[in-house]
Amino acid sequence: MIPQKNGNRSARGRERGIGAGGGGGAIGVGGGGRGRGRGGRRGMAAAGTALALAGALTACGGGGSSSLPSSPGGKSGAGKPSAYTQAQVVAAAPVAPASAITAGSWMAKVKKRGTLLVGGTDSSAMFSQRNPVSGQLEGFDAGLSQMLAKYITGKPATKLSLVTVDTRETMLQNGTVDTVFATYTITPQRAQKVAFAGPYYESGDAILVKAGNSTITKPADLNGKTVATEGNSTAALDLKKFAPKAKTLLFQEDGECVAAVKQGRADAYVLDQGILLGDVVSDPQLKVVGQPFTQEPYGIGLPKADPEAKAFVNAWLKTIYADGEWAKLWKATVGTKIAGSPPAPPTIGSADGS
Amino acid sequence: MHEVLHHLGYLAGGLGTTLELSLLGFAGAVVLGTLLTVMRVSPILPLRVLGTLYVEVFRNVPLLAFLVLFVFGLPDAGITYSLFTSEAICLALYFAGYVCEAVRAGINAVPVGQAEAARAIGMTFGQSLALVILPQAFRTMVQPLANVFIGVVLSSSLGAAVGVSELIGRTQWLDLQYDEPVPTFLLATVGYVLITLAVGLLAGRLQKRMAVRR
Repeated sequence: MIPQKNGNRSARGRERGIGAGGGGGAIGVGGGGRGRGRGGRRGMAAAGTALALAGALTACGGGGSSSLPSSPGGKSGAGKPSAYTQAQVVAAAPVAPASAITAGSWMAKVKKRGTLLVGGTDSSAMFSQRNPVSGQLEGFDAGLSQMLAKYITGKPATKLSLVTVDTRETMLQNGTVDTVFATYTITPQRAQKVAFAGPYYESGDAILVKAGNSTITKPADLNGKTVATEGNSTAALDLKKFAPKAKTLLFQEDGECVAAVKQGRADAYVLDQGILLGDVVSDPQLKVVGQPFTQEPYGIGLPKADPEAKAFVNAWLKTIYADGEWAKLWKATVGTKIAGSPPAPPTIGSADGS
Repeated sequence: MHEVLHHLGYLAGGLGTTLELSLLGFAGAVVLGTLLTVMRVSPILPLRVLGTLYVEVFRNVPLLAFLVLFVFGLPDAGITYSLFTSEAICLALYFAGYVCEAVRAGINAVPVGQAEAARAIGMTFGQSLALVILPQAFRTMVQPLANVFIGVVLSSSLGAAVGVSELIGRTQWLDLQYDEPVPTFLLATVGYVLITLAVGLLAGRLQKRMAVRR
């Protein structure tokens, strides 16, 4: 899908959604009973458009193929021997020796079922986004979860349940999912409720502004400005620390924060750099400024009730760090949008709470 | 828990915003809703149809979807209101449909003889509505309108999803900071219960004083 087109379509959908009420009035002037029937259907159509719009908003900045505005050398991976696709990386991923799957453990349960139940998202560019054509989940988180499934069961069979920041801990605790891959920042508070393997990726809060904005280049510039961020994200608290005089707007979704910046409601949007880069990939009206000003170590969420799971997943991470599979996956996903060679993988257990 | 109690003032500010939103939204809804009722009982067919369509459309769209459309859709058409204004307008537009139904029920409670008598002494449609029917209708509507107001108060919490810093918005912020969902949301609940209980009591008293004895 070409993201620019997607943007236009959702804008048109919006106009239609608002027009539906008025248009219905004009059409309905036919006669009593019939008019009411149409009115009902119109109402449903308007509701449908509204929901579609809400969906479009969350999916904003969909998986584009153009290079980053700030990185002219965009797809440096192309042509090099390291240019694998996500499917190729997963196909080459290792499988655990039978001895590693101890009887009665978390891993044994997954192996017996044959499918890894993953909590995640399908609308996070570069990390876990559903390809509308193939129906496959693409991104770093998605690829890792497939590799973990293969490591345990021998095939990359995963089943995705959508989770939100509010539900991640609960779904792990009550066993709805085996594991959570969702750009999940490790924090000591969260670690009291769930176990974290990793960190498997290091990100940090960055600032997204309109492309023409030159007054905001660092966190201190946000003081006195209106800044959007996702409610319930760690970024909202970091903002309080780094720019205490900023006026914070809390929205629910990434797409809403992006819309707020584009529409001028907010001067800037602060969240993990990886997610912001995903937003600007397809949108020339926006840019990400400066370097990350916090550290956001992403972890693999695991149930605290199964302590063997953490050691097992950490051992798997060490394996794919050592044999280069982690770097290949980075290149096939995040590396298609960020120039340069893969970073060194973070040290396991280095984050407070992992 | 201790830290949360330190922020009672902050939460009280949110309660103030909730009240402001509710009062503005309700006032707008009553004015627009009464107008819609007049349209729906008028002798002019297109007005009746328009009124009915308005009520059906707004009752069939979830308020949250409407809010998101209003806050993020309108700016694309070149119209941007502040978040607070947007939510107050949305509440007014949305609950006008409910007020309209309450007022219509109130009108139906006025005996037909009253309208016939008004017509018999030569009053126009407007005069009979304004001088005879609506004054009697409003007196039977105290409780239904109080229910609509309570609906407005509770629905104003959806503003938290579009960045309005009202009671729930501030509660979520405190929860984010201290990871204490139970005490923070308990406090918020107390705030809402205080408002709605007060409204219920007030409505009960008003109703007793205003009831038409027939």
